Amino acid sequence: MGNANASRGGVAAFKRLFGFRDFGVVAAALLIAAFFSLTSPVFLTAYNFFNLLRQTAGLGIVAMAMTVLIVSGEFDLSVGAIYAVTGVVTGLATKSLGLNIWLSAVLGLSSAMLLGLLNGLLVTLTKINSFIATLATQMVYRGIAMVLSQGQPVSNFDEDPFYSILGRSEVFGLVPVQILWLLASGLVLFAALHRTTFGVRVYASGDNRDAAELAGIKTARVKRACFLVTAAAAGLASLVSLGYLKTVTPTQGTNLELEAIAAAVIGGTSMSGGIGSIVGTFIGTFIMAEVRTGLVLLGTDAYVQDAFVGLVIALAVIVNVKVSGRKAI
Amino acid sequence: MPDASGGGRPAPDPRPIGAGYCMDGKLILEARDVSKRFGGATALDGVSLGVERGRILGLAGENGAGKSTLIKILCGVHRADSGSLELDGRPYRPRGPEDAERRGLSVFHQEIPVCPHLSIAANVFLGPFMPRRGLGPDWRRMNEECRGLYRDLLGEEIDPSRLVGDCTAAETQLALLVRVLSRNASLVVLDEPTTALTPPEVERLFAILRRLRDRGVSFVFVSHMLEELTSLSDRIAVLRDGRLVGELAEGEFDSRRLSSLIAGRAVEGGSPRSAPPPGEPFLEARGIGNGRSFSGLSFSLRAGGILGVAGLAGSGRSDLARSLFGSPPLSEGVLAIDGAARSLRSPADAIALGIGFVPEDRKADGLFHKLDVKLNLCMAGLERFSGGIALREDRLRREAEAAAAAVRVKMAGPDAAIGSLSGGNQQKVLIARWLALRPRLIVMSEPTRGVDVGAKQEILEMILGLSAEGCAFIIASSEIEELLALSDEILVLNRGRRAAILPRAEATKESVLLAATT
Repeated sequence: MGNANASRGGVAAFKRLFGFRDFGVVAAALLIAAFFSLTSPVFLTAYNFFNLLRQTAGLGIVAMAMTVLIVSGEFDLSVGAIYAVTGVVTGLATKSLGLNIWLSAVLGLSSAMLLGLLNGLLVTLTKINSFIATLATQMVYRGIAMVLSQGQPVSNFDEDPFYSILGRSEVFGLVPVQILWLLASGLVLFAALHRTTFGVRVYASGDNRDAAELAGIKTARVKRACFLVTAAAAGLASLVSLGYLKTVTPTQGTNLELEAIAAAVIGGTSMSGGIGSIVGTFIGTFIMAEVRTGLVLLGTDAYVQDAFVGLVIALAVIVNVKVSGRKAI
Repeated sequence: MPDASGGGRPAPDPRPIGAGYCMDGKLILEARDVSKRFGGATALDGVSLGVERGRILGLAGENGAGKSTLIKILCGVHRADSGSLELDGRPYRPRGPEDAERRGLSVFHQEIPVCPHLSIAANVFLGPFMPRRGLGPDWRRMNEECRGLYRDLLGEEIDPSRLVGDCTAAETQLALLVRVLSRNASLVVLDEPTTALTPPEVERLFAILRRLRDRGVSFVFVSHMLEELTSLSDRIAVLRDGRLVGELAEGEFDSRRLSSLIAGRAVEGGSPRSAPPPGEPFLEARGIGNGRSFSGLSFSLRAGGILGVAGLAGSGRSDLARSLFGSPPLSEGVLAIDGAARSLRSPADAIALGIGFVPEDRKADGLFHKLDVKLNLCMAGLERFSGGIALREDRLRREAEAAAAAVRVKMAGPDAAIGSLSGGNQQKVLIARWLALRPRLIVMSEPTRGVDVGAKQEILEMILGLSAEGCAFIIASSEIEELLALSDEILVLNRGRRAAILPRAEATKESVLLAATT
């Protein structure tokens, strides 16, 4: 009602005018970029920009998929472990079993999706809260990665075009190929969440599960699909990393789940489900990366960076709540 | 609050509450010329009214008439733009709900804030004045005092150590009533206190409110139910479009006059429904049950027919409605549609057979609060918007606009937030959701709950119009008048069993009530 509504109406009209709802996050990203451009001359260069995106590609892929899952009303703490299992399975398949790297990658990706399917079944069949369920599977999956690899990194792979296609080449001699994977995943996820009836079902399931069921939506099926998408994204991110580094470790992807959730939240995703967007999370990932890179360029040490990213998360959520007039994230 | 500890005192010997006011007809609250504008809209326009000490003032009006704004001004959430308020003879400008409570004015909202995992006693005493022993709470003393308060204030015996989460909505309300009264509330604003209560619970609440009134507590009672207003109030004030349009003193209460004051026009009492439609039944239920709250029910329904389902709360009325939509599925008996037995294992099965459902609890089971009006309108049968893979947004928008126009939803546009609509318009959205699917049957539970008088009439007319076009309805409702106005037949449930099935000619309020309660 009244004044509050009038100003909220104004913001809504503004958002409609600009054609997208993620105005707040974009503005924040630009502000931060402007700040670092003023303090460091290197910040606003094509090289830095591409480098920044390359480093954050894997996180971005996972975070955007996680956004779909969070919008559906669940989340997945086991993506980091799935990321490790994919790498270890792929690495061992080609190294120990002598399989072709492409076939190994298919095997790795399949195992990621199998683990995602297990997460989905566990959460939808037992109705355990997904925080608890995936906290459990996180430990189990990380254990699988450790056991398979005996805790050792796998490296020294044979030469193959696989590595350059996934992570080592530069398109037009300029754009690192990871960025293309990031953008491609973004486009696919954007289309799935914002341009299909599946996406509408995802929003409905996360907004009000009972109402969604009564509208004939099989919410368990929707949520299982979202777990699958998230795990597949973790698998793809792992392969991109394998392509770039040409090595896998069973401990890789530690804390990836928390960074992904953080990026989604900075991008305006609501932890209670029903609100979130792929563009928002993409920018959220970008903000985290630009803060890290900017601080490096300023010469701060690594510990300070983590603290700053934490501050940015808190700030982003506060601003988002104020701008959107929402009650909570 | 006078001494209430010890609690040994029996119910009689009522002493005045609220600092011992005498009932001298003086005003405890007086509002003079109160106005409030929000942006361009006038919510309250020069409203003057008074609440007498130890009296119940009924406050009536459609949604949007200004009742909520007035209440929010009383409890300090909003400030009046002009005009003055006096509480207890002194100027009153509360800075917020806490301030209002300190001055002795408490408001009961539709959504009651409680701690469900704490006991009744703990909820009553929660706050800085909770009795303590050492560092921890003094449970024994709290329980004793709480029992004493219930005895003294409500004349009831309770177990104060029960968890509020295990209490019914009615018991929770009483706990909050005790809570505010124990903190010296002398004027309590009750904002739709009866929406979640069954008829016997309403009677019990009213008996308690009358008892408290007679002991000097003053009330402002807001309700959509005309019978409740006339039965409880000592005086009724009616708001319409932000203005006070009338005040009825006790001798002048009359439902017809009241509803015409509220709506600004006389509302039809009778029903335009003519004879039931001809034809053979398309749906037949034989001995259906859910293995829990109802069993052995048989009835049939013709195309365009309307079957009312009456019964007290707990009679299986609401559960029957849900199970006819497969949520949860029936466990006994046969449901035949077009002569073939069908098992509805989920809402999706029911929808595939041409059945729609409008739930009893609009907020919890119907609406998507974070999505806009157009998605709320189109959420059932989403398949029709997927052309191949992509979402046909143009089609979704077109259908939403058509559906909203068909049921005359008042909204800013299809992109408006669903929360910006009034209760009546939200209910219309939930009905319209099914219309594009051309349902053969719509099952509705409490079709007009929490809806104002004007919208209620519109919804009833909409149901009759759709049934004339061949859509059948099964309507479960606690409002007997509504069932009488709509139904060809009324199935009356009593403890999960069929107590009667009354054809239109035989159904009266008395016959339905009799079957439901004996």
